[in-house]
Amino acid sequence: MANKIYIKNISRSQIKWRSALVAGLFIICLFIVVPAYANQGLDWLNAKANLGLPRLPDNGFSLGLDLQGGAHLIYQAKTDNIPDKDRADAVEGVRDVIERRVRGGLGVAEPLVQTTRVGNDYRIIVELPGVTDVNQAIKMIGETPVLEFKEENNVPERDLTVAETKQMNDFNLAAEKKAKEALRAVVTGQLDFASAALQYSDDIQSKNNSGDLGFISADVFPELYTWAKTRKDGETGDFLIKSAGGYNIVKRISQREGEKTVSSTNLSNLEYNVARILVATKQKTDIVPPKESWKTTGLSGKQLKRAEVTENTQTGQIQVALNFDDEGTKLFSEITTRNVNKPVAIFLDGQPISIPKVNEPILNGSAVISGGFTLLEAKQLSQRLNSGALPVPVEMLSQEKVDATLGADSLARSFKAGIAGLILVMVFMALYYRLPGLLSVFSLAMYAVLTLSIFKIIGVTLTLAGIAGFILTIGMAVDANVLVFERLKEELRWGKTLRNASEESFPRAWSSIWDSHMTSLISCFILIWFGSGFIQGFATVLAIGTLVNLFTAYTVTRTIMRLVFPLFKEEGNYLFLGYRRSSAAPVNQSK
Amino acid sequence: MNIPFIKYAKLWYVITIIVVLLSSASLFKYGLKYGIDFTGGSLLEVSFSQTRPAVDKVKAVLDELGLKETVIQGSGDYKFIIRTNFLTEDQHQLVLRQIREKFQTPENTLHEERFETIGSAISAQLRQRAVWSIILVNLGIIAYMAYAFRRVSRPVASWKYGAMAVVAQLHDVLLVLGVFALLGKFSGVEVGIDFVVALLTVIGFSVTDTIVVYDRIRENLLHHTGDNFAETVNNGLNQTLMRSINTTMTVLLPLLALYFLGGSTIHSFALALLIGMASGAYSSIFVASPLLVLVEKWQRRG
Repeated sequence: MANKIYIKNISRSQIKWRSALVAGLFIICLFIVVPAYANQGLDWLNAKANLGLPRLPDNGFSLGLDLQGGAHLIYQAKTDNIPDKDRADAVEGVRDVIERRVRGGLGVAEPLVQTTRVGNDYRIIVELPGVTDVNQAIKMIGETPVLEFKEENNVPERDLTVAETKQMNDFNLAAEKKAKEALRAVVTGQLDFASAALQYSDDIQSKNNSGDLGFISADVFPELYTWAKTRKDGETGDFLIKSAGGYNIVKRISQREGEKTVSSTNLSNLEYNVARILVATKQKTDIVPPKESWKTTGLSGKQLKRAEVTENTQTGQIQVALNFDDEGTKLFSEITTRNVNKPVAIFLDGQPISIPKVNEPILNGSAVISGGFTLLEAKQLSQRLNSGALPVPVEMLSQEKVDATLGADSLARSFKAGIAGLILVMVFMALYYRLPGLLSVFSLAMYAVLTLSIFKIIGVTLTLAGIAGFILTIGMAVDANVLVFERLKEELRWGKTLRNASEESFPRAWSSIWDSHMTSLISCFILIWFGSGFIQGFATVLAIGTLVNLFTAYTVTRTIMRLVFPLFKEEGNYLFLGYRRSSAAPVNQSK
Repeated sequence: MNIPFIKYAKLWYVITIIVVLLSSASLFKYGLKYGIDFTGGSLLEVSFSQTRPAVDKVKAVLDELGLKETVIQGSGDYKFIIRTNFLTEDQHQLVLRQIREKFQTPENTLHEERFETIGSAISAQLRQRAVWSIILVNLGIIAYMAYAFRRVSRPVASWKYGAMAVVAQLHDVLLVLGVFALLGKFSGVEVGIDFVVALLTVIGFSVTDTIVVYDRIRENLLHHTGDNFAETVNNGLNQTLMRSINTTMTVLLPLLALYFLGGSTIHSFALALLIGMASGAYSSIFVASPLLVLVEKWQRRG
């Protein structure tokens, strides 16, 4: 392997080019790691030269639950009562239900819900970043999905009873009186607008902001807008304006040019900042609840035997077939009979998942939903239907949650430890190996920013274990440099010139560097392939670090050495470990 | 300067055997204290805004609830960590409610920092995976070494390099296990998944360290330096000595930073790595290389 070593002659200009490339890469990586500074620079350039350069995305690193806080839940799906071949689909349906619940019901922005198979067990892993009050989440996840068939609600709204009408009128009369009183107070100057708003306004926003409502458009506040259009800034209306919500006393504060939207109703797009005092009145809808657009039919997931994706034998169209049990067949035939040419909605957990139209009465309890599905859509719909028809109970196997403050504390501490470790290693290298050690500081800095930018680019999720792994690789990263510098020391001791010694030390140290990195990588890949979450996070970081290290140790250190070493005498000096004063006569050899 | 490492090989064997015996004794006598990752169970970390209640008072409340194998550990003035059997979410909420009722005051409020509960199915899986990953990593390393050293099959067969590297690494692993068995017995340190990760890293590092030494021996063998195998090995050791020391230093420095600054969550992880890495550097010089000479001697006799 290391039998013959030839020194390649590399011209000075080539070395300068390579150094420039390394420096450029360093700056790019630095900007990827801390884009805020780069963006400031880009903004400045854009402002000066109007180049229209895009800003770098300013995303942070993606942090694991142990660092940003959050919950990690593992559920077992109990699939005993489901035939073998349908289990995977059934579990996928549960996964979908859980994801919809945590997204919709809890508003978790980026939940991760995935299924995994361990032996014959199906498990569902739920990750809820940022959520630490998981009690609610756990309750929602454990609930059995509710599948309901609903039909259009045609029952007209009921009218107000006599008593209710009287009650409403009384309330509104009182409101009018109160509004007139407020108007009098404002017009006579008895109260200024702000304190009148505080005392009289039923609109919380204006009440707490001296009446200020912000800029309004014609769409949201048509009555106030119409009034404001004809007034001047600072003018207060001396009469009550009736709007849908009640009586308004309005003051125009200022106007501005609004967003340019083309609208037929409103050609001028001026917006007015107004203040108002609202005295609320009651309408019919405040007393009678608004009409629901769908009503329950009594048909639910319990009466649905199963749903499956089928193909129409004539058209080849993909469709979802439903099969009801006896009770379901009866209910469904009634529903379809009275809803021909009308839609019937299927709700899962209160959300409509499909609203097919009934073409004809279906009396035999087997129906198909068709309508230009892709295979994927059809599969999803049938999974959702089945999750209501054949609910798969889930049982929690494990729960892990970390409070956000604890996570932030861990992050801050490990960050501090990382910086301290980096500095200690740099100081050690510079003190022991002198000038070459100092040069390795650059290559270590390069290693740090390059690794971190790779984490960012490929989106490695950093966990506490991962950061520990990164800190560990800092120490390992200099190993390659140590191997080279030890060689350099030996070669200098043998009396070689600085140039020959440095050129030879790299290829001679290479086989050790390669072998040791390969064994690390083998371990890492076994762990990534076989390990569980914690181990994987650590091994991924270690693997990336090892690969980057192969590059920086060899390329970066070597380039910097080639750039800097010719500035010194041929035999070197005390800045180099291994320098011997007596060996003034250089030995010329290239082997 | 040429240190005659191999000449004193017997001394190193004695030291190594003592270390191995002591570690094994500690490991078999006390055993490791497994964390909930491997045994299943729950861990609840709570903090109080002013002062935490006394540990035995909390213990009394939890015993009343019928929790089993409960261990409560105070941590600083504000926090304590409760370890107990597997809790369902309802039981978890009940425990929190009880502690709140008994100890929370308007000034001294309770905050739940961390909660983990691991069922037996998961812990069994984690145990199984930990064992398999250790076996697979070792097999992978032996296979790679046999391949990398395939051109130096004389005087010692290439796979034996791999095997000796693994023996040296077992020494390091045993030492870490022994120390943690002691720590488990006397300061309640538990081992979980992170400990397995530390062990695997130690294995990787120890083998890497041995490889560098062997690599140099391989190079010396190919160049026929040294009169006999023992001398060749000794030369290799001397040539790589400073590298071994310095690499170990550069790995230990960040680990020391992690140990002292990294916070309590990462404490034992960093400690396991510190012990293992230091031992890894020792074993590549004082275990792996003398063993190689021993193997060659046996071969000649046999």
